[in-house]
Parts: sequence; C-alpha cells; structure tokens
Amino acid sequence: MNLKNNLFLVCSLFVMLSITAQKTMPKKHDLIRIPLDTLFVAGSTIRLQFEGNTAITYQMYCANSYGSTLIESQRQGSRISFQIPNHLSIKSGILNWRVVGTKQKLFGTLNIVPKENPSSLETYIGPPSIEAGGIDYSILVVIPTDNLDNPLKQNTVVSIQQQFLASERNNLVFTKNLIAFKYIYAPIKSGRMLLSSESLGLNSKEYDVNVMPAIATNFTIYSQRNHTYADGNQITTFTSSVIKDKNNNTISDGNFVYFFITNKVGALLKTSGTTIAGVATAKIIHPDYEEDWSVKAYVLGMAESNTLKVKYKKVVENFEVTFLKNNRKITVGPIKSFMDQLIPDGLQVKISIYKNKKFLHEIIKSSREGFVSFELNQSIYKNGNYDLRISTAKVRKLFQSTALW
Amino acid sequence: MVNTNKIIFKSILLLSYLIITAVLLFLISSLYSYFNTGADRSKILHTKIKKIDQYLPKVTWLEDGNLGREMNAQTLSEIESNYLDAWYIKNIAFSTNSKIGVDAYYTESARKNIFNIIQANKKEKITIERTTLSHNPDIFLFSEDGQLVVLEDKNVVEYKRVFKDNKFILEITEIANYKVILLLEDGFWRIRHLVKESVSEFNKKTKASTPISKTIKGINYYPQATPWNMFGSDFDIKIILKDFNLIKTANLNTIRIFVPYKDFGKAKVSESKLNKLRKVLDAAEKNDLKVIITLFDFYGNYEVLDWTLNHRHVEVIVTAFKNHNALLAWDVKNEPNLDFDSRGRQNVISWLEQIILLIKSIDKKHAVTIGWSNISSASILKDKVDLVSFHYYEDKDAFEERYTDLKEIIKDKPLVLGEFGTTSYRGFWKPFGSSEEKQARYYKEMQAVFAKNKIPFISWTLYDFNKIPKEVVGELPWRRNAQEHYGFINKNGEKKKSFKYISKH
Repeated sequence: MNLKNNLFLVCSLFVMLSITAQKTMPKKHDLIRIPLDTLFVAGSTIRLQFEGNTAITYQMYCANSYGSTLIESQRQGSRISFQIPNHLSIKSGILNWRVVGTKQKLFGTLNIVPKENPSSLETYIGPPSIEAGGIDYSILVVIPTDNLDNPLKQNTVVSIQQQFLASERNNLVFTKNLIAFKYIYAPIKSGRMLLSSESLGLNSKEYDVNVMPAIATNFTIYSQRNHTYADGNQITTFTSSVIKDKNNNTISDGNFVYFFITNKVGALLKTSGTTIAGVATAKIIHPDYEEDWSVKAYVLGMAESNTLKVKYKKVVENFEVTFLKNNRKITVGPIKSFMDQLIPDGLQVKISIYKNKKFLHEIIKSSREGFVSFELNQSIYKNGNYDLRISTAKVRKLFQSTALW
Repeated sequence: MVNTNKIIFKSILLLSYLIITAVLLFLISSLYSYFNTGADRSKILHTKIKKIDQYLPKVTWLEDGNLGREMNAQTLSEIESNYLDAWYIKNIAFSTNSKIGVDAYYTESARKNIFNIIQANKKEKITIERTTLSHNPDIFLFSEDGQLVVLEDKNVVEYKRVFKDNKFILEITEIANYKVILLLEDGFWRIRHLVKESVSEFNKKTKASTPISKTIKGINYYPQATPWNMFGSDFDIKIILKDFNLIKTANLNTIRIFVPYKDFGKAKVSESKLNKLRKVLDAAEKNDLKVIITLFDFYGNYEVLDWTLNHRHVEVIVTAFKNHNALLAWDVKNEPNLDFDSRGRQNVISWLEQIILLIKSIDKKHAVTIGWSNISSASILKDKVDLVSFHYYEDKDAFEERYTDLKEIIKDKPLVLGEFGTTSYRGFWKPFGSSEEKQARYYKEMQAVFAKNKIPFISWTLYDFNKIPKEVVGELPWRRNAQEHYGFINKNGEKKKSFKYISKH
C-alpha cells in the first residue's frame, strides 16, 4: 500500500516536473521591437533594432516598391539589429518587413519618403503641334524627381511658364499621383509656343509646341492669262486668295487645292496646286476651240471657292484644204490664228473617212507650221468615191464623193 | 584463317556500302522533300503571332479618373498586356536572379532598381518565387499624345515564397497599392516609376460554407465505356442519365465526378466542355442526386507561376455552377498528397490553400474539400476546408479505429470517406487474389461500420472498366487488372454480389 502510494507520488511528481520543465523550456527567443520612427528620407541609413538576449542570427524579409530580399540580423550587445540595404532604402514608397522564425509575428512597415528637393524635372509634352483656335490642346507632364530617381512627394509646387507672341504666363500646379500636369490650350493665333517648368529652384530646359493654323475656310479664286483666245498654246494660271482658317491665320503651306473645271458640255478637267503663304497656284493650257469654263476650287473636305467663269474665243474661223496626187494627198492649211499668224504647232486636225455612208477610219495629226497633210494609201483606200470629213478647232469641212484614183 | 578474314572484310565492306548508300539516300530524299515543300505564305509576313497564355492574373480596370486623352480599347489592351508582362518578367527575374527580359518592360532608370536587388539576392543566394493574383488598375492620366500613362494599381495580391541557399524561408501573401508611370518606348509600354503606397498582409480568413444537411451516401462515377475521359467525344448523356437513375434506385444520394484540367482547356475553359458538365449536373438534379465536383484532375504542376492560369480555370467553372441545385461540394484536387514527393510538400499545400481561397471567394455557399488519399494526410489544411475528405484502401479491419482517431483530431469539421473499395479480380496476374464474394463481404462489413458510426461514404466505383489510361495506374498488368475490377457492376453489365451492399449492410 505504502509502496503503491509512494509510487503514485513519485509518478505525479515526475509528471508535474515535466510539465513545469515544458513551460520553462527555452522557447524560441522572441524579440521586442525598439520603437523608432517609421518615417525615413530615401537614402538614409535605416536600422531596425530589437531587444532580445539571443545568439541566434535572425532573418528578415523586406520588400520595397521594386522587389524583396532577405537580410540577416547583426548583434550589438543585448540588441540585435537589421540594416536595410541601401538598394532598398533609396527608393521611396512603403517598405514592409517581417522577421522570420519568431514565435510572435514581428512585422511592420516603414514609410520612405523622397528627398525634399528635385534634381531633375522629367518633362513630357505632347502632341508637339496643335491646332490654333482654343479647342485643341497639348498636355505638359512634369515629374520632379530627387537625385535617387524618386518622384517628389504629393503637392510639390511646379510652376509652368508659357510664352506666346507677346504674352508670357506663369501657372502654379501641384504634384499629385507622382506628376504635375497642365493642359496647354492652343491660342487663337498660330505660331510657336515656348514652355518651361520650374520646381523649388530647379529649372527645366525649353520646350516648344507648334500652334498650327486650323483648317481652311472658303476662299476666292482668280485667273490670269495672256489673251483670251482658245489657241491651245497659252497657259491660264489660276490662283487663290490667301486662304485663312476661321481665326484669320493663313493656313499652313502645302495644303492641296484642286481646281475643277466644267466645260461647255459638262466634262470635268482638273488641275491642282499646293499653298504657299496661303496662296495656291495651278496652271492649265488653253483649249484649242471656243470654250466656256466654270472653275471651282476645293481644299478637299474643308473648304471651297467661288465659281469662276472663263471664256475662250474662237481663233480658227476657216481653213483651206487642197487635194493632190489623185486626191490622195490632202493638205490642210494654212491654219491661221487670231492675228492671221500661223497657228502654233500642235493643233489637232482630224480626218474621218467614210465610204457609202460607212465609217472607215479616223486619222489625227498635229499641225506643224500651220499645215497638216494626210496621205491616203492606195492599198488601204481602193480607188473609188469617199466622203471625207476634216475638222480642227471645232471647225468642220465635208467633202462628199471625193474620188480617189 | 585468311578465308574468314576475307569474308569478314568483304562483309564489312558490303555493310558499310549499304550504310553509306542508305545515309546518302536519306539525305538526298530529305533535301528533295525540303525543296518540294511549299512555303507558307503567311510566314513571310509574320502575321501569325502565337501568344501563349502564361500569366493571367485577374485584371479589373477601373476607369473613372482619367483626366487626359480618352482611352480606347486597343490601347488599353496593349497597356494591360505590357504591364502584366512587366510583372511576369519581374517574377521570373526574382526567381532566377537573371536580368533577361527586364529591359523590355522597364525604362533604363527603372530597371536599375530591379537589377540592384537581383544582384544582391544572387550574391546572398536568395531566390524568390512570386506571382501576382489580381490587379485593379485605375488610370489617372493618359497623356494627350498617347505616350504616357499614370495609373494606380489597387489591391495587388502578391504571393511570395522566399528561399535562401535553396532552403524555404517563408511564404507571404501581401495586398498592396502601387502608383505607376508607364511610357511608350519602342512600341512597348515600359514602367518608368513604381511606388508602393501601402501594403498589408492578405487576409486569408474565409467564412464557412452552408453545412451539408444530408448524410452523404455516394459513389465515384465514371461511365463504363469512358473511364477517366467522361467529357470526351464519346460523351453520351443518355447513358449517364440511365446510370444516375440506377444510382438513385440503389438508395445513394451523391456522386463524385472529375473535371480534367487539360481536357477542359486549362486557362481557357472550353464552352462545349462546360455544357457537357452542365448536362451531367442537370441529369443528377433530375435524379435527385448531389454532385461533388473534383477539379484539377490530371494536373500536377503547382508552380507559383502557373497559379494565375489555374485561377482562370477555376473561376470559369465555379462561376458557372455555383448556383446549380445539384452541386454539393468542390473537391479541389484528387489525392494531391501523392505529389508531395515529386513536387514538394510546400508547393502543393500552398497551391491548395490559394485555390480554396479563390473558390470560396466566388462560391460562398458550397463546401470545399480536398480528396486526400489517406487518413494520415487528412488533417492538412483542416482549418481551410469545410469538409475533410480522405480515401481509404488499406486494411478494412483497421478502418473503424483509424476513423475514430481522426475524428479525435478533427472535431469541428464533418468528415467524409471520399473513396474506398476493393477489387474482385482474381486471374493470371493475381492467382490468389480477391473474388466477387470477398468484395461483397468487404462492402458488407464496411457498410456496417458506416451505419454504426454514421460515416458519410463515397465508394469506388460503379463499374468494372475495360480500359484504364496508364496515367492512372501505370503499365503494370497486375495493377491495371485489379483496377479494372473495382466496380459493383461487371464488364458485361451484370450486378456483382457486392451490389447488394452498395448503400447498406
């Protein structure tokens, strides 16, 4: 009985001892954070310190904006510390950390703020050319960054200077979401706008935006010619007035202007030119017969001109035709122009050959020194009677039943 | 002697002649066929750009704060694609400590920040496997010339697993807000500035699902003709309907089916497969059966960089069926503990945990479980699942005791025996193997234990099968033959003796 009791006591003692032993067993050495600022300026030395009497080397996970890493603890007497490596502490943003292998979770965040002053003003402006008139705009974005390439803190003041013609302006904007930006609206006039930015004493270089004239508005056209005769030789020049946009800016050089010409029978002719200093010039050769042209010019899809009437007088009233060599050589001419001078070379003369009212051929030749001659080959045109129609400059002559032999 | 030498010499000569001729003939014929192959015209223009899905975190664009140029869909998709690639490349850079590709997605000044960390990590032999699971970018400013974008990416869920000297140190899931400036350079949207504005640990707490009211009496189901290929081209809903009717009349109330990951289209789930699955669930509902859907069948990668693809798969399937009346529970994966050795225990468990989180974030109603292959694994992640399921193919006499032991460990979660059963195979490969009688006795005794302890069960399986893919049991004929005879119904469609004990003892 006694033995049994003793045995029981010994047993229970053993159990109790082992329980207390369990309790006092050195558990994982926990660390106590030594409170310290959580706000740091980028690039400063950051050391997280903990109280803990331990010989263990701890590891700390830490992550900044760009990536994460592990760092090892260093011992300093009864303290252990972790030094955040430079390549993490130079970047602004939240840096979060966690000590690995402690019983209680030891974690936290540090706020790394950018330096006060900028060392560069990253400036982006676009589009580089905008349309005058107060509607179109460009956006200027400025990212003031410190010398560690961190965008400066929210509400950093950035002044934006603008120069255009006589006006110079200065606006203050504040950074938000890493950037400062401003809409640069186009003025009414065209020209070149110069811009620059400044933040806390640091100035950017000069940027420019081209304020281009807006699209063309309606215009008038004129014609210019040496004489009014339809000689098929002289050139008529069409010019436009100085084409302006809606704000009275001369439109940009190189605008394409089409001149559409409608003649007497409704056929369309076209000539074109590009603008220089707002004026488009286009040329066209005179017709070789009497014409009434109506001319209208377009900047396609944008603007049009008035309709211009241009008349060309008849120059060839009549011409002579001589038949030689068994009527097979037909000479047309001399064809005379308005001062009875021989018509300049190149007037078209057409002969149409019919037999028994049936059309056979048409021969076209250009005049040379006032004359054109046609030879009707015997092996093509057998001996017999032919109807011959000769026309030039819309003047027609008919020779019926001309015998070829 | 000379004669034999001569013969050997001659035959070597002849043989080498033959070989040389054969080689020449092969070379000439391959040259000939090369020159006779028409060039694919589309190749000249490089019009076919094959984009592989490699990184698909959930991206939700908020667009209410854009103060600049109006964003169009085309540009937005380019920004999204480049921005995600930037994260993807960074993930790879940190896991391999290599700089490859980083310069394509970070500007010259920004990439330095990554290179510095990588360089230090490389020196210290630190590698970090990481991925991001969701992004919620919101555009603040799209510059008028379309060359600069300032955005805030809110609630970026980042998972990281840190190794030192190839030893696992910690895993961490963070949720962070970033402000980002991207510039369009050389046709790429590159990150110029990246500032983390806030970060906290991701809250992994989930709510419990609606409890399952009925006691599960179930069976693992594959159609007899198409085991492990239920949703293939031989899919026939009539057969499935008939089988479900049979299961119902056998007094069972649940089936467990399997959704193969690759077959269903991985990250891009095929609509036709979803329709087939819907038909199966409809058929189950018609027969008053509940369904446990086992996801990720035939999947075994678990790599951190594969997670986003897994997520897109799960998302589609869970969203499609979370309101289906026939659904009982989601089984994340069948027997994942078998991959512990080959894929690493930590990999598999972390993978399971985040898939559970995802399922529970989409479907708050239905239970989530993991089909552990044995009792000893059953307590892994027991706090994360709603239902602890395990399989049992060991000694039937030890079952009751082992079950009671498990019940001791897992007190607050319902248990279900997700698979159990035995073969009736006796034949050439196992001359002293089982028999139909032995199988029937096994089920009778097991059912008695279930009845006594009120154990929910799902047996393996309804049918004996004719062909079993080698991915399931391997090539060994004694294993394959045994596996072919686990059914309650034999290959001729006749009920075996065990059928009597399919749901009662």
